[in-house]
Amino acid sequence: MPDANPPPLLALTGVSRTYGERVALSPVDLAVTPGQCVAVMGANGSGKSTLLRIAAGRDMPTTGQVVYAGRGLTQDDLAVRTEIAVVGDMVSTYPDLTVREHLQLVAVAHGAGRGRDDLVDRALRECRLNDHATALPGSLSSGQRQALHLAAMLVRPRRVMVLDEPEQRLDPAARRWLADLLLGQKQAGAALLMATHHTELAAAVADHVIVLGDGEVIGRGTPEAALAVIP
Amino acid sequence: MTVTREAIAVPDSTDPTISLLRELRRGRARQRAANAAYWIYLVVLIVALYGGARIGAAVHDLQHPPPPTAQTPRLLHAAPYGLAALALVLLLVLVRDALWRGPVTLPQPAVDWLLDTPVDRGRLLRPRFRLSAAVATLAGAAVGVVPAAALVGLGLGGHSAGHALRLTGAAVLSTALLFILGTGSAGLIERYPAGWRRLRRATPAVVALVVGLGGLAAWAALGRPPPVVADVVMWSGPWGWATQGMVALCGGSAPLWPLATALLGVAALAALAAADRAAAGVPGAALRVRAATIGAMSAAVLNMDTRGIALAYSGAAGSRRVRFRLRPPRRRELVLPWRDLLALARAPTRLLGAAALALLAVGLIAVAGQAGQLSLVPVAAALALGYLAAAWLCEGARLDAEDTRRSATLPFRFQSLAWWHAVVPCLILFAVAGVPVVALAAVSGDPRFIALLAVTAPVLVAGALVNVFRPRFMPDLFGGFETPVGNSAAIIVVFWLVLGPLAAVVPMAVLLSSALGVSHAGAVARAVLAGAVLAAALGAYAARRAASLGST
Repeated sequence: MPDANPPPLLALTGVSRTYGERVALSPVDLAVTPGQCVAVMGANGSGKSTLLRIAAGRDMPTTGQVVYAGRGLTQDDLAVRTEIAVVGDMVSTYPDLTVREHLQLVAVAHGAGRGRDDLVDRALRECRLNDHATALPGSLSSGQRQALHLAAMLVRPRRVMVLDEPEQRLDPAARRWLADLLLGQKQAGAALLMATHHTELAAAVADHVIVLGDGEVIGRGTPEAALAVIP
Repeated sequence: MTVTREAIAVPDSTDPTISLLRELRRGRARQRAANAAYWIYLVVLIVALYGGARIGAAVHDLQHPPPPTAQTPRLLHAAPYGLAALALVLLLVLVRDALWRGPVTLPQPAVDWLLDTPVDRGRLLRPRFRLSAAVATLAGAAVGVVPAAALVGLGLGGHSAGHALRLTGAAVLSTALLFILGTGSAGLIERYPAGWRRLRRATPAVVALVVGLGGLAAWAALGRPPPVVADVVMWSGPWGWATQGMVALCGGSAPLWPLATALLGVAALAALAAADRAAAGVPGAALRVRAATIGAMSAAVLNMDTRGIALAYSGAAGSRRVRFRLRPPRRRELVLPWRDLLALARAPTRLLGAAALALLAVGLIAVAGQAGQLSLVPVAAALALGYLAAAWLCEGARLDAEDTRRSATLPFRFQSLAWWHAVVPCLILFAVAGVPVVALAAVSGDPRFIALLAVTAPVLVAGALVNVFRPRFMPDLFGGFETPVGNSAAIIVVFWLVLGPLAAVVPMAVLLSSALGVSHAGAVARAVLAGAVLAAALGAYAARRAASLGST
């Protein structure tokens, strides 16, 4: 029987980040449990990406602590690389590998064996890239490239998904598809931490919303309550 | 393989991943090899075209070393210090590589697709470090030929080809070891971010040491510092150890040079081994930043965007803290001068460097005038220094030219910005060069210097602005057109790069040397008038270039 109040899988306590004298993020607390989605919203430069980088172990906080699965997170943590899927800032591709080959590479790097091709086929289907499986990245539209990055997340094992503006470059129909995809991941038990500018996506997927302004938390709560404070 | 609530075992996926990547990319290996071969061909061609004669002369010198001249003993005295200064500069450049590029680097796609997987980073990063170390060793060996050829050419290569070859061998070995040491040290610094700040802080001290060694070299060439100073320098560290073989084989005093070379070898190999072990632990954040920097730098190089290269380097090598503030002006005309002043005040190194260059230019004119040799060459050299100072002071204009959107909200036409951007550099040049020029005029009782400064500073600033607002580089320029004396591409590209300095320095050198070379006032009046016309013409041309840049 599943625990009614599972412990947080990823918890940030008093996490802040400064660069020299510039405060990018004032102390923030947040916790994500399996099957839950926390959305971080706010204007450009409000500290969303900084917060997500710290949560994904790509940057270390100036103060505070990040605890993943009950233990302190270290930079470039191997467990994190194994269990946390990050989407958002992948900007490049191998120019000479096809869409399918990119996904094969990620699947194999995460230990996929014989089932590799099935995994890749399913991800291609889910991300509506079937017709582009043999295309080189240079021939993809920006929305298709974003779909490729999302597909890469689906071919690897994951307990947590950290998504930095996953809706970027997607058209309205693709955003609806994205919302369904993320809801499916949540229902399967993934813990989602997502930065987004898109209130409809946050309202559809998130259980808890944190609103940042100039690096500080200016609102938090249910999507309805938190979205009301967004200027 | 999907979402799971349980802990996921770390897979042993390194070998299959690397094998798959090799297999997938094998089909395109020929294309990559062809690309690499093309670049090697290009480099060899450029070296052969522009350095062929020099290389031929160096090879001839090695086969038939020229005899010592009257200056040779002086050069031999200066060699320990001069070579140590050069070695220290090389070492600093190699170690500072850790602040922006490597030596442990991954291509951007590998960073984005493999770095966040459980693949063993050591297996990804060590081969990259070893490749960097191998390239550095080869580069070091090639660079080592340069001081050897210079020493032989200066008459320090002994009396036979065999002796000159031994000297070359020692130089090649020492320089290659120095490069290995620098690359290994850079690898260790890249691994431990705490070292980045220490290296940044140590850099000015090392530069001061280099200047000190340069001073000692000059002293040794002109006088005789105590011999113990040379011994101290040559045993003071790897930069000194690297010089001993060359000094000894040139006929200088370095009896324990095999020991010094062995010490250098041990240090280099120790650094290499330690960095090889440490390569696996280079932080992912550092690898991401470096991959992005290399991408930006490569794009800038391919576009011949010298400014882009500088920005990519300075952006990666560390940002400065903004401390200086200046109240904005009330009059709208002063907005641009205010912004230019602020940009310079927040980059004091640029301001101080420009001031030093301007003072050096005035000093050169004064010294050449004292010696009664105010010919074209020293005047042109002084103007070149002055031009560099003006170019450094045009930072505000450069920012506008880089991204014309920055000034889109200002109530000025883009064309008129060029004129406003001339205000601050001209005033600073007047202020910095004015004091010594007025003093010079007062001492010599010759007011010509003041009148000529009044017109020279605007010409140099206008020339700098012509370069600042140059059009975007078009690859078509490499095509050129055929002329009876060959293709014009090289000349066109050079003109694209240096039109500003050429148009400012060359005519101004003629005007100044003619005005200062004779004593009647008419020549000065002519130079001032012609200079004013030149400044106005260059300013108008810069404004026209700015207008077309703003309209694109």
